[in-house]
Order: sequence, then structure tokens, then C-alpha cells
Amino acid sequence: MAFSAVLHPAFLLVVLPLKASLSEVLGEPFQLIPEILTVSIQSKLQQVNLQWTVPNLTHQELKMGFQIEISRMNASNIIWVEDYSTTVKRNQVLHWNWKSEIPLECVTHFIRIRAMVDDANYPPQNSWSNWSSWKEVSVQVSVAPNTLLIFPKSKLLEEGSNVTICLLYGQYLYNVSCMLQKEPIHGEQLDSHVSLIKLNNVVFHSHSGTNIYCQAMNATKTPFGTVLFVSKVLEEPKNFSCETQDFKTLKCSWEPGVDTALTWSQQDSQNYTLYESFSGRSELSDHRNSHNWKITEESQETYNFTLTTENNLRKRSVNIIFNLTHRVHLKAPHDVTLETVDAKKANMTWKMHSRGDNYILLCQVELQHETEVIHECNVSVHMSASYLFSDLEPDTEYKARVRCADANHFWKWSDWAQKAFSTPEAAPSQALDVWRQVRSENGSHVVTLFWKPLLKSQANGKIVSYNIVVENQDRPSEAEHYSVQAPALGTQLSLDMCSYKIHITANNSMGVSPESVMALSNDSGHEEVHEKRIKGTKDGFHISWEPLSGDALGYVVDWCAHSRDQHCDLKWKNLGPNTTSTNITSDAFKPGVRYNFRIFEKSVQQNAQLLEKQTGYTQELAPLENPKVIINNFTSNSFILSWPGYDSDFQSAFIEGYRVYLKSKEMQCHPKGKRTSLSDNSVLCEYEIKDPEQKSFTVENLQPESLYEFLVTPYTSAGQGPNETFTKVTTPDENSHMLLKIILPMTLCVLLIVIACYWKSQWVKEKCYPDIPNPYKSSILSLIKSKKNPHLIMNVKDCIPDVLEVINKVEGPKTQCIVSGKPHNEDVSIKPPSSVPTEDGSSGPVPFMFFENFTYDQSAFDSGSHGLNPGPLKDTPGQLGLLTPPDKLLNVLEKDYMKSLAESPTEETSLIYVSQLASPMCGDKDSLVTNSPKPVHCSGYKRQMAVPGRLPSLALSESNSLTSMILLGQGEQ
Amino acid sequence: MRAQLPQRTLLSLALSLLFLSVARTTRRCPSSFPQLLSQLQSQANITGDTGSLLEPYIRLQNLNTPTLRAACAEFPVTFPSEDTLRALSKPRFLSTVQATLGRVLQQLSALAQRFPKTRAFPELEKTRGNVQGIRNNVFCIAQLLNHSLETPKPTQASSGASLSTATTPSIFQTKLDSCRFLWGYHGFMGSVGKVFQEWRDGSNRSRRHSPRRGLLPAWRKGASRIRPSRSSQSPMSRVQAPR
Repeated sequence: MAFSAVLHPAFLLVVLPLKASLSEVLGEPFQLIPEILTVSIQSKLQQVNLQWTVPNLTHQELKMGFQIEISRMNASNIIWVEDYSTTVKRNQVLHWNWKSEIPLECVTHFIRIRAMVDDANYPPQNSWSNWSSWKEVSVQVSVAPNTLLIFPKSKLLEEGSNVTICLLYGQYLYNVSCMLQKEPIHGEQLDSHVSLIKLNNVVFHSHSGTNIYCQAMNATKTPFGTVLFVSKVLEEPKNFSCETQDFKTLKCSWEPGVDTALTWSQQDSQNYTLYESFSGRSELSDHRNSHNWKITEESQETYNFTLTTENNLRKRSVNIIFNLTHRVHLKAPHDVTLETVDAKKANMTWKMHSRGDNYILLCQVELQHETEVIHECNVSVHMSASYLFSDLEPDTEYKARVRCADANHFWKWSDWAQKAFSTPEAAPSQALDVWRQVRSENGSHVVTLFWKPLLKSQANGKIVSYNIVVENQDRPSEAEHYSVQAPALGTQLSLDMCSYKIHITANNSMGVSPESVMALSNDSGHEEVHEKRIKGTKDGFHISWEPLSGDALGYVVDWCAHSRDQHCDLKWKNLGPNTTSTNITSDAFKPGVRYNFRIFEKSVQQNAQLLEKQTGYTQELAPLENPKVIINNFTSNSFILSWPGYDSDFQSAFIEGYRVYLKSKEMQCHPKGKRTSLSDNSVLCEYEIKDPEQKSFTVENLQPESLYEFLVTPYTSAGQGPNETFTKVTTPDENSHMLLKIILPMTLCVLLIVIACYWKSQWVKEKCYPDIPNPYKSSILSLIKSKKNPHLIMNVKDCIPDVLEVINKVEGPKTQCIVSGKPHNEDVSIKPPSSVPTEDGSSGPVPFMFFENFTYDQSAFDSGSHGLNPGPLKDTPGQLGLLTPPDKLLNVLEKDYMKSLAESPTEETSLIYVSQLASPMCGDKDSLVTNSPKPVHCSGYKRQMAVPGRLPSLALSESNSLTSMILLGQGEQ
Repeated sequence: MRAQLPQRTLLSLALSLLFLSVARTTRRCPSSFPQLLSQLQSQANITGDTGSLLEPYIRLQNLNTPTLRAACAEFPVTFPSEDTLRALSKPRFLSTVQATLGRVLQQLSALAQRFPKTRAFPELEKTRGNVQGIRNNVFCIAQLLNHSLETPKPTQASSGASLSTATTPSIFQTKLDSCRFLWGYHGFMGSVGKVFQEWRDGSNRSRRHSPRRGLLPAWRKGASRIRPSRSSQSPMSRVQAPR
């Protein structure tokens, strides 16, 4: 046995070369058939690893080619053929792997290999060797009934790549639907229990992966799924560079790109590694975008860096090579100082971190004022340097800064080092721009001085005050000094009518500015020149003038807005001696505002003489308001419209005239007007007044008692005024004014008479109708006079009553008339007014006296029928019982009267008078009209009373025991 | 809902700080039992809210589809049910809560390792702090009751509080399992909150009925009889879902 074991290799060693040489001789090359050793699977990577060897390799080393075939599902279904060439050593185990696009759990694969020698030391072969036997490649997976398996269980892949997912169905499972996140996806059936889902160009969804899950209709509701971890594509680092500040450390930096980290431990953030080829050192960076590389070899000048970034799927690299001295990024300058030499100069010094004094640096110096760079220069320096800033402005804040770089190999500027400083103040360098406004007031000049503030570059510091020296030219010895504190920009002086010279200067803490001089002549402020209208544009006004004299020192144009709501903010512009025109522009110019310009000529003596006045608008606008119209001379046929108080100067343009609109129904327009018919059958007449100074208009040819509406509106070049409501007027009646002329005076007269009557009512009463007629003034007196009767007045004593009857009656017949003509004294007193006041409040008997008052019964007196009746009087029922002679009656009466007076408890002469009224009104009606010639005994009386204050009341009863009656015969009154 | 989130986040932050402070002062438990009980109930109610952890997790893991939500909710990892908890004696209840939350903490730590970027899932860290705070308070309340927290015998229900590690599950499966675990966790905390509420209600009633009697002795009396109830000994436990 041992012998055969030794003999067999020896035999082979002898036979094989013989076989090879025999094959060569016979022209049939010897086949080297590869022998598959193992076929393994890396399921997660979906990779098949093949290991084989080439037995019977005669040469120590031989260049060979191999062909590998892979079949899927069955051996005949070849899906992959790949040639692989390598140099094969004797007894070498060769490796090859293949990645399947389909998870290997889902389907069985088969693999075989064959070889061909491709070596010059070997006889050429024209054909492949025989195939090795098929090797089956499969992963044993058992799928339980009613379950579903999805492969791969999870997959890490790059965005944009393709992936195939396979589904293994268990028994009794059907109608499976799959979703990618929320979108349904569909696969292709590979066989009865395997289907494939191909996803192309997958996209990144989230760091937690993209869920793919499937569910069968007849299975449990638990979904089966897998997660695709789609990584973003690893990006190449950008802007990779290294530099040093101190020759001890190289700071390398780069832009890393997107982070490709994924959760569930699928992929960490990509790492960054620096490799320097000359030193052979490699360092993993702790940061994503930078790394500090320590310089260990001081002698090394050149560096070759490779920056590599890597994640689970990809690796990317960038490379730079540089000389260290060319990558010097200096530190910012230090110890920066600034020293002001004077108001206009400052010196800056600084130091640099440098390798030595021989090392030349380039420094950039900047001077900034209010964030604006006003000065910049480059200087070559060594370790320390200085720079002088000149032409600075006094009292100004500046910021100086400096940065440096290697002068020989410029790489980067260092960071800035800066310092702020201020220059000291200096005296103002410029005279003030001054102007004045002069007006005469109460025999003196009121001078308003204006000046413009000095620019900062002219003031050279904070202006504290303005000095004004007023020099009287007529009396040079007198000069007055005034001081105006800043920030005032003007003042007012009251000067007499002399000539003056005014000197104005500005002061700051360091000194006084050059002076500005103005002269005032006696007639300043009295100039009268014609005002010219000019037309402006939206940019401003073009002002031109005729020079007055040839030796003008210059011209001044001043202006202000002529606006109702705007204070005149006087502006002015100084112009040279040879100027005759200028453009005045201002942002303050507004459309619709009138601007008044004055042009002055300055003489050599600094006196300013008014040349011209000009006024205009930058843009004329339509008037903003209509005038307030007053109606005058209002008649039935015409009226006058006037607007006297209308101030057209404040309008938004020059008023060119007015338009009067008159509206009425069925109206004839005046020939001067334009007629327009309106939709409501009314007529609108338009009258145009082309003279802006005319401020009245007569509306004529109107109809009486008609309604008219009018509107007066101004018009300018830009249009007319606002369309306001028409004012309505109604013309009066034609005769009404006549009536008015008559009625009014008449009414006034009547009123005057009434007032006079009222005023003199007592007098009239006494004259015309006294309460107690004065017999001497009675009209009867005239009759008597005419008869030449010596007895002017009838004396009562002379009258002898015909009848005097005294009736003492306990119970008489009921009196029909309370106050009647029955001559019964008591009866008369029966009906006194209950209101007759008595002291004790009771009513007592009051003596009465009856008089015939002819004044109240003149007609009866005059009438013949009521006159003296010569016939015998008949006693009629209810009438006079008997007639008493007048004299007797009078006696009785007198006696009774006297008695009454005597019986009066007081001495007062208060009496109750009963006067006769007009006509019989009460009593027995039948007796009133039965016999008209009979004396009217039932007459009403106007009771006139003079009641004695302490008279006892009369006992007012029908049962008075005593009744006195005095009857006067009609004919014996 | 959007408006509630910042409030919830702030509240959660405040509570987590509170819990952390409680955790740091574990050795110095509050002496007020009602205060501790009230605090525990509030903590349980807040951590029972799915918005504090589950919903952020579902959004982060792209599980916000009807199918996956259903899969998450219908088969939650089993925690002791509300009935089970209610039936437990008080000391046993505290021990169960303490032990369950201990396992919850382990699971949350395991879950945290899946997310290297804590910034992407800050709610997880907050929850861990909250759970630790509750555990500290449970410890304190047990101390007040003079009860040492013993590890309860594992029941079928409580064993479910850990994820199965028998076979290496796929990531998809782990995602779902974690979701179920969080669902169960929120439900469990809700149940714990209810039991604590019942404790509070009971203590209030007790105080009303016997005002002179101190609360603590009553609890101590209950604590001295630590016996698992019948239901807790039952091999069958009910599965509950958070509300």
C-alpha cells in the first residue's frame, strides 16, 4: 500500500509530460479542465462566490482564460456568460464572484466553468476545454402555508439604481397586492410561487428607508414587507484646499456635500480621510468639512494630499499638490494704533506675525467713513509698519483697517485688523450762504436774514453760534452786534431807513468762518416791478431775466411757494455775474402750487436790487374749489351773481375765466350762452367769462315764478372747477314787488296808528268815550248851543219828576230781569256781581244810582220815535207803572242818593255805576218787540262800578221788603 | 392638531425636566403622598398620549398608511391590561408598573440605538426621561407605603413587554414590532393613570368618610397585605390598546 502510494505520483510525473508531449506530437492540445471547488452564496449581497482550481497544470505559471456560465431555474436557461482571464499558478485556488439581480433565495441558479490556455509558452489552443459539471446555487427557504416571504429583507442601494424584489408565496395564498409606501406596485410571475417586482431608478425617500409591503387577501392581516434604504449619491468633496498660518499646522477644508447617513444601522455618515503621499501618512478627519494636519517634517515643502470620502456604497477622492510657502494665510495684524497729527492727518501703525524681518509682506490699508471706503492703498512692509493718512476732514469719524498677505506668493489676505478714530475740529472754512428779505413797516426796515447751514466739510466742527454785525453806512460809527445760537438758520432785524451793511459769520470751538456781507440801501423793500407769468415743468422752472447793469456782482433768485396751507419757506440760489438764466429744480416743487420767484441783481457794494418777479406752476391743475356766489338785484326777470371775496391766487393754476351754468325748464338761453338740453327736459345754458378779473354776472331774460339752478366755476388751462351742486333760486311774481311796495308801508302805518292809539288809549278814551260822560263836553251841548239856550247844562234840580213811586213790597212778583229797566232800586241791586268785594266777604245792600247815559243811546236820543212823546203814556204790563216828573224824581233821587251816602259806613265815594248798553237783551222777550214805540224798559247795562271798599254787601234776594224804583220818562230825560 | 403640538412639546419638555430633577433627587422622596399620587397620575396620563412618542415614530418610519397603522394597532405587544392592573393589590401594582417600565426603558434604549441621529427623533429621548421619572416616583410612593418593590413573577402579559429575539427579524418587521410596542406602552401608561386616578378617588372618599384618620396608615395597612389578586394570577391576560 505504501509502495503504491509512492509509485502513483511518480507514475503521474512521468506519464503526464509524456501525455503532453504526445499531444503536441499528435497536434491535439491537452485540455486543462477547471474543477469547481466551492460555490458559496452571500445572501445579503446577492452574490455567488465561485472557487475553482486547474488541476494537472504542468507549468508553474500559465496564462489562462475561463468562461463561466450561469443558468437560472434550470441549467438550460443560461442568463449569464462571462470570460475571465488570469495567470494561474500551479495548485492555485481561483476566485470569481457574481452578483445576481434577483435575490438568490427566490430562484435556483446553476453555474459551470471551462478554460482555455492563452500562454505563449503553451501550445496554442483553438477551443475551450470541456465544461465542468453544473453546480447548483440555491438558498433553502421554506415558506409556510398562508405566508409570504419578500426578498431581500432589506436592501441598501444608491439613488437612481435598479432593484428586483421577489415574493415567495406559501401554500393557499392568492391575490397578493403590494405597495411602495402608499403607491401600489405590480410584479411579474416567475412561477407558481415566485413573482418578481422590478423597481428602476429608485429615489431617496427618507433616512428611515422606503417601506414595501404586501398583503394577501386570504391571509392574515399582518403585512409582509421589506425596507429599501436608498442612499443619496455620495458627492465628491469640493473646494479642497490646505493652508497654514504658522507653519506648524496645515488646515485643510472642503465642502462635504450631502450627508448619506441612513438609520437602522444601514449606513453611517460618509467619512473623510486625508492621505499625504510624500510622508505616507493618512488621517481620518473628525469633521465633515475640515481637518488640521500637523506639520511634523519642517523640511517638507511640497505636499500631495488626497482627500477620500467613503460610505457603504461608494468612494470618491480629490487630490491637491502644493508648496507650503505658497499656502500661507497670515494671521490678522496686531497692535494697531492710530495717532492724529492734526485736524487733517493721522498716522496708523501695526505689527505682523512673520517668520522674520526679511520676509516681505503686502498690506492693504483702507480708510472708511460711514461704511464707505474713501481711501485704499497697498504697502510693502516687514514685521511692523506705519501709514500716514492725510487730507482728512476735521471733526470726522473714520475707521482705518489693514490686512496683509505674503508678498512673494500671494495666497490669501489675512483677516482685517481695524481701528476707529476721529480728527479734531478746525475753524469753519467757508463763508455762509446768506440772503435776506426786506419789508417796510411803520417807517422802518424789517430785515429777515436767512443762511444755509454749512456742510460738514465746511463747518469743520460743531457750529456753536452765528455772529451778525450790522453796520450803519450813514453813521459808520454805529455798529451793532448780534449773536444767534445754532442751530437757528435765520433771524429778524428791525432797522431804520438808513443804508446798512450786514456781516454774518459762523463760529465753532476752533474759530470763525469767513464773513458774508450784504448791503441794504434806503429803498430796499420798496421796489415795484411787474410780475411775469412763467410755465414750469415737472423738473422745475427755467428763469431768465434782463440784466440791469453791466457790472453786476452776481444774481440771486429766491422763491417760495404761494400756498394757503404752506408757510413760505424762502429758498434762494446765488448765480454768477454773467448769468441771465437758470433752472430752478427742487424735490419740494409740487403740482398745483404757485411759486413766486424774484430775481435780484447784486451790485459791487453787495446791494441787491429787485429785477423781476416771476410766478408760475410746475404743473397747473384744475381749480380745487368754486367761488362762493352771492345773488344781488333779484327780480322776477333777472338777478346778478357775484363772488367778490373769491381769492384766486391760491388756486391750483392761473384762473383764466369763469363759467356760469344756468339750468331751468323751458328756458331760452341768452345769445351769449351755449344751450344744452338735458335728459330731464331741462336746459343748461353755459356762459363763459373770459376775464378772470370779472367777478359778477347778470342773469337775464328769466321767467317770473320759475325755478333756476346755477353754478359758477372757474377754469384754468387744466380744466374747470369741481362739479358741485347747483344753487336753486326761484324768481318772484311780477306784481309781488309792487304789492310789496304798497302793502309794506300800509302795514307799517296801521301798525304805527295802533301803537299810537294804544299809547294814547287813555286820552282817546277820555276824549271819545269817557266812563262818565262830561256833560260839558257832550254833543248835546252843540244842539243846545244851537238853540241858544242859556242853560247849557241841564240841572238835575231843575228836573221835576213826573212820578216818583216808592214800592215797599214784601213779596213781589218774580223779577224777570235781573238788571232791567224796572225802576226799582232794590231790584237793581238784587243782581250785583257776587264778586263785589266786601270787607267781611258777605254781600250787603249797596245803594245804586241810575243815570241815563246818552252817550250809549245816541240813536235813541236822536230818533223821533224814541224822542219826546207828547202823548199820554200808558201803563203797560211789565212796564212803567207810573211816570214821575223829572224834578220830583230828581229830588227823590237826590234825597235818596244823599241818604245812601249818609248811610254809607265809610266816607268813600265809591259807587257802582250802571251804564246802559246798546240794546235790550234780557227780560221778557214778548214785551220787547210788541210795541216798539213804548219805552224800552228792559235794557242791558254795562255795569261800571266803583265799589266802596267797606260797603256791606247787599242782601240779594227776591223777597226784599223794600223796592225803590225810579222811572224816567222818555221824554223828560 | 398643529396648534397642540408645540404646547405638547413644551409640556413634555417641562415634564421631562421635572422628571429628571425627580430622578436626581431620588434619595429624597417627597413626603406628601397625595402630591406624589397626583404627580404620578399626571405623568401617566401624559405619557399615555400617543402623540408623545408613537405618532412621531409612525411619521418617522413612514408607517402612516392605513394598512401599516392597522398592523401596528391590531397586534400590539402585550402589556398588562387595565383590568389586570386594577385587580392587582396596590403593592403588587406598583411592582408591576416598576418592572414593566424597566423593560420599557430597555426597549427604548435598544430602539434609540437604531437612530444614530438623535436629532431626527428627539421624542425618544424625552420619553426615556419621562419613564425614568415615573419609575422614581413609583419608588418613592412604595417607600411611603413602606413597601419594597419586588420583581413580580413574569406573567404571560408582562413577558410581552419585550421584543422577541428568537430569530433575527427583518427591519420591516422590527419597525412594526417597535410600533406595536409603543402602542402597547401608551395603552399601559393610560391604564396606569386610570388606576392612580382610582387611588386618588379612593383616598378622597376615605378622607371624607373618616376625616380624622390619616391617609398613610391606610395605605400602609393595604401594603401589609401584598397578595396577587386572582386576576393577576390568571394565565390569560387581556390585550389593551391605547385610547
